[in-house]
Amino acid sequence: MTTSPLTTRRPVSALKRYWPQYLAISPFYILFLVFGLFPIVFSLYISLHDWDGIGTMKWVGLAQFQYLLVDPRFWNAVSNTFIIWFMSTIPMLFFALVIAVLLHQNIRSKGFYRVAYFMPNVTSMVAMALVFGSVFSDTFGIVNSALKSLSLDTVPWLTSDWGIKTTIAVMVIWRFTGYNAIIYLAGLQAISSDVYDAAKMDGAGTARIFAQVTIPMLRPVILFTVITSTIGGLSLFTEPQVLLGNTGGPNESGMTIVLYQYNQAFTQFDFGYGSAIGWALFVIAALFAAINWWLVSERTGTKKWGRTK
Amino acid sequence: MLNDESGNPMDNLSRRRFMSVTMAVAGLAATGALVGCSRTESISTDPNLLTLWYWKRSISEKLLDSARRSITGTPRRLRTDLIGGDFDVKLRTSLAGRAYVPDITGLNSNVALYFPSEDQFVDMNELGAQEHKADYLPWKWQFGVTPTGRMCFWPMDTGPTAQFYRTDLFAAASLPRDPDEVAATTNTWPAWLDAGKKLKRNSGVSLLANASIVYSQIVNASAERYFSPAGRALFQDPGGTIRRAWDVAVAAAQAGITAKVLTPAEQNSAWVSGKVASNIEAVWWGPILKSTAPNSSGKWAVAHQPGAPGNSGGSFLAIPKSCKDPKAAFDFITWLTSPEAQIQTYEDVQLFPSAPKAFESPRLSSPDKFFGGQDVLGVFQESAKEVPITFISPYDSQVSEGVLKELTNVETQGKDPDRAWADAMNQGIRQLEKRGLMK
Amino acid sequence: MTTTQARRDARALKQSRVARIVTHLAILVGVVLSIFPFYWLVVMATNTTAEIFGYPPKLIFGTHLFENIGHVLAAIDLFGALGNTLFVALSCTVLVMFFDSLAAFAFAKFEFPFRRTLFAVLLATFMIPAQLSLVPNFVVMSQLGWIGSFQALIIPGAANAFGIFLLRQLAAGAIPDELVEAARIDGAGFFRTYFQVAVPMLRGGLAFLGIFTFIGAWNDYIWPLIVLVDPKRQTLQVALAQLSSIYGTDYGMVMAGALISVVPLIGVFLIGSRHFIANIAAGAVKG
Repeated sequence: MTTSPLTTRRPVSALKRYWPQYLAISPFYILFLVFGLFPIVFSLYISLHDWDGIGTMKWVGLAQFQYLLVDPRFWNAVSNTFIIWFMSTIPMLFFALVIAVLLHQNIRSKGFYRVAYFMPNVTSMVAMALVFGSVFSDTFGIVNSALKSLSLDTVPWLTSDWGIKTTIAVMVIWRFTGYNAIIYLAGLQAISSDVYDAAKMDGAGTARIFAQVTIPMLRPVILFTVITSTIGGLSLFTEPQVLLGNTGGPNESGMTIVLYQYNQAFTQFDFGYGSAIGWALFVIAALFAAINWWLVSERTGTKKWGRTK
Repeated sequence: MLNDESGNPMDNLSRRRFMSVTMAVAGLAATGALVGCSRTESISTDPNLLTLWYWKRSISEKLLDSARRSITGTPRRLRTDLIGGDFDVKLRTSLAGRAYVPDITGLNSNVALYFPSEDQFVDMNELGAQEHKADYLPWKWQFGVTPTGRMCFWPMDTGPTAQFYRTDLFAAASLPRDPDEVAATTNTWPAWLDAGKKLKRNSGVSLLANASIVYSQIVNASAERYFSPAGRALFQDPGGTIRRAWDVAVAAAQAGITAKVLTPAEQNSAWVSGKVASNIEAVWWGPILKSTAPNSSGKWAVAHQPGAPGNSGGSFLAIPKSCKDPKAAFDFITWLTSPEAQIQTYEDVQLFPSAPKAFESPRLSSPDKFFGGQDVLGVFQESAKEVPITFISPYDSQVSEGVLKELTNVETQGKDPDRAWADAMNQGIRQLEKRGLMK
Repeated sequence: MTTTQARRDARALKQSRVARIVTHLAILVGVVLSIFPFYWLVVMATNTTAEIFGYPPKLIFGTHLFENIGHVLAAIDLFGALGNTLFVALSCTVLVMFFDSLAAFAFAKFEFPFRRTLFAVLLATFMIPAQLSLVPNFVVMSQLGWIGSFQALIIPGAANAFGIFLLRQLAAGAIPDELVEAARIDGAGFFRTYFQVAVPMLRGGLAFLGIFTFIGAWNDYIWPLIVLVDPKRQTLQVALAQLSSIYGTDYGMVMAGALISVVPLIGVFLIGSRHFIANIAAGAVKG
């Protein structure tokens, strides 16, 4: 490429020169400014007021946050969210790993299995929440019918505290296990066989290989799935709302943080409090992300065969 | 200086420029067109159409059909939108979003919720409301008047209360079975508590499904509730309604005369199976009972409740201020709620009138087989006349929420009532302080 | 020596066959669990409510599908909602594919001032949970007059960080610098280069992003629930929730409605599954 002697690089001309690129990236930043950044700042402003969306705003200072700190309904929602997250994430990632390992063997129709496992993830959440609501119904659900036919006690899936949490956790597990399995499968496939060969040459058995080669090499993928599962768990809304209504069922056992925010902001029309809850969620999410990162990255295992440079 | 160096700089420049500029303009135009498509506030622009929002079975379809063809005395027609889900949420979302607001709207008994936004509704006094005032029950009329005296919520149907009870279960426990005798035996709340204890002792049957019912109905029957019309807090007064209702409810819970069933499904099951022998509710509960427990037909009767009767439920009509033709809307409303129309409404959807003249119609009274041949409407008509005028504040629920929750704790967890009361008061006060309503 | 070796080999062979059978069984169990709710959905949608409520429950398909669908259509305008959702999802998809790839191309192949800072800002926006903006965005929408309109659903997400990030990764690798340079020498400007060079090379990634966005827009629930008020202009998820809340006791009908909502998306997924699954996995592994 020849440089013309006439090209002088002045900063102004650089900006003028790259205007198509700036135009190309501008839609994102404009939309972010209007629907991302401004609302966040505005949300902080609203949370310092008492407002029902129709009338005038009334300044209350930090009253919403003071109330939030001792609001038993809020902390119930936080506890529910975490319990359900715990109940769903651990089995889900475990099963996903198992399925991925199984699929990683040389078997036929892998494509069909991948589609079958992935389908729960792409389907309408409202529709499936309705289906699960019927499957787990106390009175006519097929799960209780099966228990009855085996002469076991029926379980109050939708009216008891643990029943509700279990039902919601099962829905989340059903929805995301296949998705995570496919991701783990891709991760497994990305591990080159040289690593395994080196380990086998050193005389390691299957179990040891799995624990000290496979898992460490999968760590970034596992971290990814834990993070996405955390984000999903903290935003849990559709399943409890469709299954149990706007107050999360009897004793608010299924009330999650986002459901509580929706309940306060859009059914009670307490915009100020709803905004405060949104900020509390942000703080919790940030904390949780930090903890996740620390937990999953800091664990040191022997990486004898992990380095393949 | 520009990237491009080969070829004719001017040609390439202009071609590239042209394309980029066209695209930019197209993009802006598209966005502009979309932004420009802002809504008008009213839900429909046809000047001859007035839209009404209502929920299932809240208005007689026969009357609506007639209005759909033409609203009597006006050049307008009615278009109705049946709103499912949470009606209040939808309406308040439209009001807050200033979009898709109907011209006329039904409202349920919680109109007080809208008092802070009363400027969103037309003051029907300006349309001639006072001329019709005498046609309606005074306490029902008063519910629709805002604290500033504006008549924004027009009376539709009412919910005078009484006790529904199982005559066979009462008789089996040596309690009277005739409605007048039952009313006499339970004419005070202490007497009612005694009857409940007797019922439990003699046959193990509970008088009520849960203690919250008696709490709510005592509040419904009282002249003063949580706040005075001027906004003064009454709920902490030691001799006030709330404390009184709480005491009776706690006594009922502790005496074991409630079945402690909380969910609608469980309550239905309890009424069907005879685990619970009575309920204190409004007239509209009758048809619900009939469809829930059809096999108990003939075994129920209705008697006056202890103390004074109250009102539970009942709906209203309002005209949002964006209405195209408030005069026509008002004509529709008064037509729909005239005494004659209310008789028709009762026949079609069993909604109890708010116009005393309608009571006089013979179509409104008849022996009911389900209630052992009793003319139950007569009982409710008497109840309707005795309901006290009272004030419901938009902030009642800030306090009642905590009270009901703590009452449940006392009833189902055995929590100490004094502590429960203190906790309930604290929660209510905290919520009111948060909203700046209490210092 | 050879006999023990042969015996060890035979045992290993038998073990591996057993292992294979167990493996297949385990996988099949998983498949059955994944598919069962769909099967059950069809069972319920084809039976009457009485049959669904009965004990023992009916386990096979019935004959009442069209009857139930008829009830659904009489109750709410489900096909109208279907059409609305299609419109919203397609609009989102087209806009996202266009804006994201345009920005990704710019970030990947051109060194303009502040590029790194701007991209860092873009990454930072990942940190922000959507729930922070629910309430204020509602207010913004009401100021714009967009409450109840479909713009409120389409415009805010028309360009998203996820897509730009993903496509930038792809563009950086898949689009050779030489091609860009050649286009530049040919006199093509940025936008023409984009159409002629970038788009063809990004086809795979665009397909993935398109399907991903389509499915996300189709399934969006909380935001349409908040913003759509007119019962005549709803999206599918909201309409279905309405159907269940008004007519919740007619299970046959509600399930028929649910079935109608589920089928189109499964169709789209089955058609595009190849792109979709491969790319999700790839993105996760690289990311």
